[in-house]
Amino acid sequence: MNYFCDSLRAIFIKDIVAEFRSRQVLPTMVVLGMLIVWVMRIVSEAASVSAEIMAPAVLWIAFLFSGLLAQERSFAAEEQEDCIAGLLLAPIDVGTIYLAKLLVNILMLCVFEAIIVPVVLLAFGIAVPDRWPALIGVLLLGNVGISSVGTLFSAMVQLSRVRGALLSILVLVILLPMMIPATFGLLLLFGAIPAELTGTGALSMVGSFKTAVGYMIAFDTLFTVACWLLFGFVVGQ
Amino acid sequence: MRRLLILLTFVLLAASTWMSLTVGEVTAAEAGITVEKNIVYVHVPSAICASLCFVVLLVAGIAYLGTNSPAYDYIGAASAEAAFVFATVLNATGCVFARAFWGYWWTPSPRLITSAILWFLSVAYLILRAGVPDPARRARACAVFGIIAFLDVPLLFISARLIKDIHIANVEFETAWQGAAFGLSILGTLLLGFLLIWLKADVLKCRAKLEEELVD
Repeated sequence: MNYFCDSLRAIFIKDIVAEFRSRQVLPTMVVLGMLIVWVMRIVSEAASVSAEIMAPAVLWIAFLFSGLLAQERSFAAEEQEDCIAGLLLAPIDVGTIYLAKLLVNILMLCVFEAIIVPVVLLAFGIAVPDRWPALIGVLLLGNVGISSVGTLFSAMVQLSRVRGALLSILVLVILLPMMIPATFGLLLLFGAIPAELTGTGALSMVGSFKTAVGYMIAFDTLFTVACWLLFGFVVGQ
Repeated sequence: MRRLLILLTFVLLAASTWMSLTVGEVTAAEAGITVEKNIVYVHVPSAICASLCFVVLLVAGIAYLGTNSPAYDYIGAASAEAAFVFATVLNATGCVFARAFWGYWWTPSPRLITSAILWFLSVAYLILRAGVPDPARRARACAVFGIIAFLDVPLLFISARLIKDIHIANVEFETAWQGAAFGLSILGTLLLGFLLIWLKADVLKCRAKLEEELVD
C-alpha cells in the first residue's frame, strides 16, 4: 500500500511539475473556456431563455471542451521521446499510472472550474446559489466523470493519426448519459426548474436532485473502475 | 448452410411483411393512429437487434482481450456495423412515427434519447476503427471501447424503462395473426443480424489475409 502511494505520488508530482514549468495546458484551457463563455453571453442577448438556463449549459460545454484539452496532453506529452516506455518499464502496476494521470486531470479541471465558475456567474449576472456546497459537489462529480473516461481514451488515441478529433468524439459519446443528470443538477441549483420535475421530457427522466446525484455517483464509480481495469490493455501490457 | 440461412431470412422477412400489411394490420386501438402503428413490425425488432449487437460487442471485446485471437476482433467489428444498421433503422422508423403521431420528428424523451445514444455509440466505434492503422493495436482499442460503450447501455435501459415517457407503452396485440406477424418479424430480423455479423466477420478475415499476403 505504501509502495502504491509512493509511486502514485511520484507520477502525480512529475506531471504537476511538468505543467507548472511549461504552463502549456492550463492557460489554453482557461482561454478556451472564456471564449466559450463570451460567445454564449452574446448569444444570450438574442435568446429568450433566462440566464439561469444558459449558465448550466455554458458551464458544461466549457468543462467538456477544456477538459478534452487537458486529457489530450496527458498522454501526448508522454509519447514525445517515448517517455511512456519508461513509465511502463517502471516496476509499478499500470493501473497506478492511470490513477495518477486521472488525479492530475481532475486537479487541472478543478483549478479551471475555480476560475470559470465565477466568470460565468459574473458574465450572466447570477447570484451565488444558496446551496453552493451542493454546486461544488455536482461540479466535482461531473469533473471525475469527464476525467475518468477522458484519461483512458487519451492513452487510446495516441495510437491513431487523428488524436484530438478522435478523442473528442469518443469522450463526448460516452459522457452523453451523464450529461442529463449533470445538467439537471445545475439547473436545479440555479433555480431554473422546480425541485420535483414531472412530465415526459429528458430532465424529468432524472426527477429530483437526489436521483441526479445518485446517477452521477453510479456513473463515476462504474467508469473509473472500468477504465482503471482496462487501462493495462490500452497501453499494451 | 449459409445460402439456406439467407433464403430462410428472406422468406421470413417477406412473410412477416406480407402478414403485417394484410391479416396482421394494426387497426385503430388509440384514436389517431392506424397505418403508422404498423411501423412496430420494423421498429421493435431493430431495437432488440441493436441492443443484442452491443451484447455481442461486449462478449467479443472480453474474448479478444482474453485470448488475443483476431477472430473475436472481426466479430466485434461486424457486430458494431450491424448495430449501426439496426440503430439507424430504429431511429429512422421512430422519426417517421413521431412525425405522424406527435407532430414533430424528434423530442428529448427517455427512450428516444436512449436510441439516439445507441446510434452514436456504434458510429464512434466505427470512427475509432477507421482511425487506428495498426491491426493489433486497433483490435485492442476497439475491444476496450466496446466494453466501455456497453457500460452505457444498461444505465440507459434501466433509466428509460422506469420513467413515464411520451413514447407509447409496449404494444399489445388484439389478434393471433398480429402476434404471429410480430413474432416472425422478430425472428427474421434476428436471423438477418446474425447473418450480417457472420458475413462481415468473414469479409474482414479475408481482407486481413489478403493484406498479409500483399505485405509478404
